[in-house]
Parts: sequence; structure tokens; C-alpha cells
Amino acid sequence: MSLLHHHWLAEQLPAWEREGIVTADGARLLRERYVAEPQGGLAQMVVGAVGALLIGTGLIAVLAYNWDDFPRWVRMALALVPLAASQAVSWWVLQKDEAAKPWQREATALVQTLAAGAAMALVSQIYNLPGKWTDLVFWWCVVSVPLAWVLRSQAVAIAYLIGIAIWTVAQVTGRGFGFSGEGADVRLWYPLLLAGILPLWPGPKLRERPASGSRLVLAATALLGLFAVAAFAADRPAFWLTMLSAAAVLLFPLDRHGIAEPLARKPQVLLGGLALVVMALIATYEDPARHLVKSVEFALPLAWCWLLLGVVAGFAVLAFRQGRFAVLAVAGLAVVPLLAAPLSGKDTSGWPVAIIYSFVLLATAIALIALEFLGRQGAARIGAALITLLVILRMADADVSLLVKGLAFIVIGVGFLGFNIFISRRRAALPGGPST
Amino acid sequence: MRPALAVFAVAVAAQWLLPLAGIWQYERVIARGTTVRLECVAPDPYDPLRGRYLAVRPAEDRVPKPEGMVGRDAVPVWATLEAGDDGLSRIKSLSLEPVSGSTVIRLVAKWRLWEGQRQTSPETVFVEWPFDRLYLNERLAPDADKLVTERFREGQDRPVAEVRLLDGRAVLTDVLVDGVSIREIVKQRAN
Repeated sequence: MSLLHHHWLAEQLPAWEREGIVTADGARLLRERYVAEPQGGLAQMVVGAVGALLIGTGLIAVLAYNWDDFPRWVRMALALVPLAASQAVSWWVLQKDEAAKPWQREATALVQTLAAGAAMALVSQIYNLPGKWTDLVFWWCVVSVPLAWVLRSQAVAIAYLIGIAIWTVAQVTGRGFGFSGEGADVRLWYPLLLAGILPLWPGPKLRERPASGSRLVLAATALLGLFAVAAFAADRPAFWLTMLSAAAVLLFPLDRHGIAEPLARKPQVLLGGLALVVMALIATYEDPARHLVKSVEFALPLAWCWLLLGVVAGFAVLAFRQGRFAVLAVAGLAVVPLLAAPLSGKDTSGWPVAIIYSFVLLATAIALIALEFLGRQGAARIGAALITLLVILRMADADVSLLVKGLAFIVIGVGFLGFNIFISRRRAALPGGPST
Repeated sequence: MRPALAVFAVAVAAQWLLPLAGIWQYERVIARGTTVRLECVAPDPYDPLRGRYLAVRPAEDRVPKPEGMVGRDAVPVWATLEAGDDGLSRIKSLSLEPVSGSTVIRLVAKWRLWEGQRQTSPETVFVEWPFDRLYLNERLAPDADKLVTERFREGQDRPVAEVRLLDGRAVLTDVLVDGVSIREIVKQRAN
């Protein structure tokens, strides 16, 4: 829960208790359920992070200028003195423990991270070391992530997540498809590097949660990293493995507070679901559907595929037990190619699978709407949008006159807007106001 | 000591260890290594973290496949260099096993099926040299690039990479044009 909402609830609860709207136990339960996210002065943190970022990037730019006229030892001192100074300040902040302000922790962690990167870059520059800059990013991430843990720095954590995703993508793009022997094995490295964030989120007491912006970065980079690993594992564009990766992100287990949160605060559900739906929509066309079924054939012998299937199955069981039927309905889109593959012969048309996908998408959309009407956590608006999109796509393909298409689009648009108004009124009429 | 302080101490040690290990390793090669000169080509690209550099690629990048090399995977190989009458070193022999000598350099060999549109000989491998750039001041780098391009267009001698070798490890120390450091030439031109 955001700090603003938490303040509002905290102000209202005593009055509600006095007026008998909630009991003392009920109020206690509400306070426990809707805890404020540890923001620690967001504005202060942002100011600290921006200041640190300016100092650090300035430092890197000054060093990258390449002070040709200075002897080597002077250039080394230029790189290592800022590192030592930033480490000393971080040590001082760390000693203050809880007395340290959030912006101090953010700023020192970020400056030290940038100073460490600058030192490594300069040594590399002095000795004309070869290698891609993304290799430097890897080591930079490895030596910097402990600062995110101990100084509880969201900025360093975000930089780390972006850094490991960039490195992972670089391993795949640098290697190219159909050539083995170069680049690190990201099937092993990416999960290992991603696990590097665990000491911060959820932390040793399993209580820490990323703030809203960090959640978005975590979900987006995890999705990107897993897509890259899928391409690496298959040694070719891996349509189906990409779908399974998106399903794993979408189904990532949540506790009951997480489940109760609105969709906007669950970027892994939003991005994972969006990726799956977009891929499924693409697969409603003949050529992509044929490639999708073929990618199942290529993927099934791979250990990474079975690992992903195991993870998705495990997450799906948990989601079922928690009653997360809406996400299960969307995740089901990733299973279609596996079920359709045995039905499609070699070198056959992709039309059967494309048609199956159209119907499965329609069924998914209906499920999202029906769940909401059945009092479950659904997504009626998203369901309606999906049906609208499907009809638009099919109408665009259809061999009918422009006039018919135009009229159909008007009818669909009116229907969609009408449904939205109906859902808004229905939600407003429900006790407890709008829900997602 | 609090666990956070211990973790911080390890991070600090790692942040020092990486640059210092590099400094120690490469200072040793510069101080005690053998100097060799290799003919090379050198255009001018940019690294987002380390600034401008002159890309240095030794002209000798295709050599006969070493005995015992199978498959398409990139493998480390040890090349023994020999200086010719012109003072430039070339690969004399290539081995899959480590060999010793003052002019031995560790390279990576790989076999490519295609080079552009042309199919390559299965008996030839490509070698990757352990240096590919000479960092230059951003003010000087474009001039250095121009100098190299001009010489290439006019068919003059290619630039020469000056490299120090020790225990198979290499550090690129300079790029020479007609025996003079490219840094000095472009500095003089700028003045």
C-alpha cells in the first residue's frame, strides 16, 4: 500500500472504531494487512540518487576523456582515489545503521558503485585491454550488488538488474545463432545473477518488498533476461520457450497481500500477461503459428525447456490453490502449442493452430469477464479489450467491403465503450467500491 | 562485526581486487615482457564506458589449422612468433598445448564455415588476438583514424602494433606508423 493511502487509513481507523464500524480486532487486522511500503522519504531518495548519478557519471566521463599527458600512476590514482573516498563515506553511513537517512544510503551506494565501475574502466583503458564493454558491466554488477544489500539501495538494485539483463542479452546477440563455443552459458548465469537480488528482496527476514518503480524494473528485466536465455538455450529464435518464460513471470507466486493488490501494482502479471497475449495474437496467423509449432519440436529435447515447464507447472499449482484463476487462464495460452504439436504433421499448414489460438484467446477473454461476474478476481475490461482486438484483427483480414468493415468497427467500438460503462457502474455499486 | 559490515568489507575488497589484479598482471608484462611488432589495421570506434580507441587488428588472422583441432568450438591455442627481416613478427607455429618461450602468445582459434559470402577452407582457422584496441584521448583519436585511413588509401605501409609478451600474456603498448608512435604523430599534427 502506498504511503498516501496508508496515512488515510491510519487516520480513519480510530474514528471507525469509535463509531462501531469496525471492531478493535478488525482494525488491528486492517493495520496488519495494509502496511505502508518502506518509502523512507521518496523525494529524499530520488534527490540522493540523482545527485550521486551526476557525480558518478561525471567521474566516468572525465576518466573516459583519456588523460594522455599524465603518466600511468597519476591516471591510476585518478581512478582509485575516488573509489577509496566513496568507500570511506559508505563505511561511515553503514556505521550509522538505522540513523542513516535513506538519501544518504542511496547516494553513497550509487557513488561507490559508479566509482568502482570507473576504476575498472580506467585500468582497462590504461592497459588497452580487449573485450566488450558488456563484459565490464558483468564484473561491475558482481562487485556492486553487495552495496544494494547492505545499504538497502533501490537505485543500485535497479542498476544491477538492468546491468545483468544487458549482459545476458549481449551474450546471446554477440554469439549469434548456429555457432557454439562463445559467450557465457546464460542458462546458468542469468538465474544465478537474478538470485543475487534475493538478499535485498525479500531479504533475510523475507519481509522486504521492492517499491513500485523497482518492481517494474524487476519484472521487465526478468522478462528480457529470460527471453534471452530462451534464445540462447534453443540456439535459434525460440517462440514457444519465450511464451513459457512469459508464463513463468506471469505466474510468479505471491502472498495474500500481493494477490489483493491491484493489477497496476503487479507489473510481473501485467508484463508477463501482455507478452503472452501479444504472442498468442501473432500466432493467430498462419505463418507464425507454423513456426510456433515447429519451435515446440526444437524445444522439447532441451533441459531448459523441461526446467521451465517444471517451474510453470509448480507456479500454476500454487496459483490454482490460491484461486488466481485469471492469471491461470492467461498462462494457459503458453500450453496451446504443446498440445497442438502432436496434432500437426510435418510441413503442414499452420492454419489449424492459428484457428485454435483464435478460439483459445476468445475463451480466455470470456473467462476473464466471467470470473469477475462470479465474484472472483477477474479482469473484465481486459477480457473485453481482448475480444474487441480479436474481432478487429479478423475483420481486417476478412474479404469484405470497406463499408462493412467500417460499420463493424463502429459497432465494436460502441459495444466496448458500453461494456466499460457497465463495468464501472457495477464496480461502484459493489460494497467496498471498485476492485480489480 | 555486524553481518552487513562483513559483506561491505568483502565488496570493498572485490572492488579493489579487480583493478589491482589487472594492474599487477599487466605491469609485470610491460616491465618484463618481450617486445614484438605486428602489422595491423586500425579504425577508430567508441566504447561507452572507456572512451575513444583505435581498433587494432593484426593483419595475420587466418592460419593453417593446428594439428589435432576438431569441431567448430573456439579453442585456446599457443602461437610462437618469429620476427622477419622487416622487424615484424609473424606466427611461426600454433599449438593446442601450452608452449613456453619469450615470443609465445595465447590466442583463440575458431573455424568459420563462411567469411562474408565466401566458403572458407576447412584447413584454415581464424585467430583472435588478445588485444583489439589502443585507447586514445578523444581529441586525438579522430586524427589518428584519419592518418591510418589516408595511409591505407595511398597504399603506404600499414600501422604496426607494439606488444609486450610474457608467459603467453600480451599487453598492447603502442601503435607505430613508420616506427613512430601514432600518439606522438597526431600530437605534433595538432600543435
